[in-house]
Amino acid sequence: MDKLVIANREFDSRLLVGTGKFPSCESMAQALESSGSEIVTVALRRVDINNKNDDMLSAIDFNKYLLLPNTSGARDADEAVRLSKLARAATGINWVKLEVTPDPYYLLPDPIETLKAAEILVKDGFIVLPYINADPILAKRLEDVGTATVMPLASPIGSNQGIKTKAAIEIIIEQANVPVVVDAGLGLPSHAADAMEMGADAVLVNTAIATADDPSKMAEAFKLAVQAGRMAYTSGFSASSKKASASSPLTGFLRDE
Amino acid sequence: MKHSFCWSAFFILERRMETLKVNGNETEFPDGLPGTIAQLLKHLNIDEATVVAELEGKIISRDDFANTPLVDGQSIELIRFVGGG
Repeated sequence: MDKLVIANREFDSRLLVGTGKFPSCESMAQALESSGSEIVTVALRRVDINNKNDDMLSAIDFNKYLLLPNTSGARDADEAVRLSKLARAATGINWVKLEVTPDPYYLLPDPIETLKAAEILVKDGFIVLPYINADPILAKRLEDVGTATVMPLASPIGSNQGIKTKAAIEIIIEQANVPVVVDAGLGLPSHAADAMEMGADAVLVNTAIATADDPSKMAEAFKLAVQAGRMAYTSGFSASSKKASASSPLTGFLRDE
Repeated sequence: MKHSFCWSAFFILERRMETLKVNGNETEFPDGLPGTIAQLLKHLNIDEATVVAELEGKIISRDDFANTPLVDGQSIELIRFVGGG
């Protein structure tokens, strides 16, 4: 498969995986392995002083995966910048998945604060992958301030609804000069394949894998779907039409006209 | 009157334990305030390799945990990575 290139770094896998909601560190590690992913997202939170044994990073092999800290929990640009800097201090990695989600019900990203934070972070040397609603103008504005990708949502985070924003994502893909990563709401491998067939450069999946009865199996299913979708896209498939187009010759029938 | 006020103020000062605000919670240290961030983490039994610290709003690099002194009343955030999407 052709390589995914983000900020001049090459990846063989076009599936990014989130690490939330797994039943255990072991099942997460297995699922990451099965997914073939090379980029995994993590969140930053206060250490729980009363439960110190919640260190999940020990289950992630840093040589194998690029850690992509997110700014989840940030309600405005300032909080997102603060979290980004803490993440950089913790890892030395300057990649960040920028998310600013003040709305607790749909977790929809705030476009104005996201753009503001992106501008600050890019200037500060971060490689910024912003999570956005499927807004083509916003995607362009983010690209203009120097983000490494744009990550439009398919549907609300963790909702498993699939691609509800298809028409807008198609415009984003058509116009983007940076990789488009479809993020959030992909509930089945077929949703991921759909995104890849549309020409998305990659997808990010968390809930659908982590909450499956067999996360590792689902991770592999997503891996295959992403590969299949990408292969289909690069094969140059032909357009759909309303009418039938016979696959078999329409001549030489065994009958007298 | 003046005399007894002085004594009671002294008494209060003597009795007040040193505290730090750790992750938003006022935390008392009956055996004395840990001298540095490294000592605080040791006191709380937290592996410093997994933690990032913010003291009074300023990020402290892990290399400086052992030589960053803590002062009574300061606010410190101890943060680590958790699973997330």
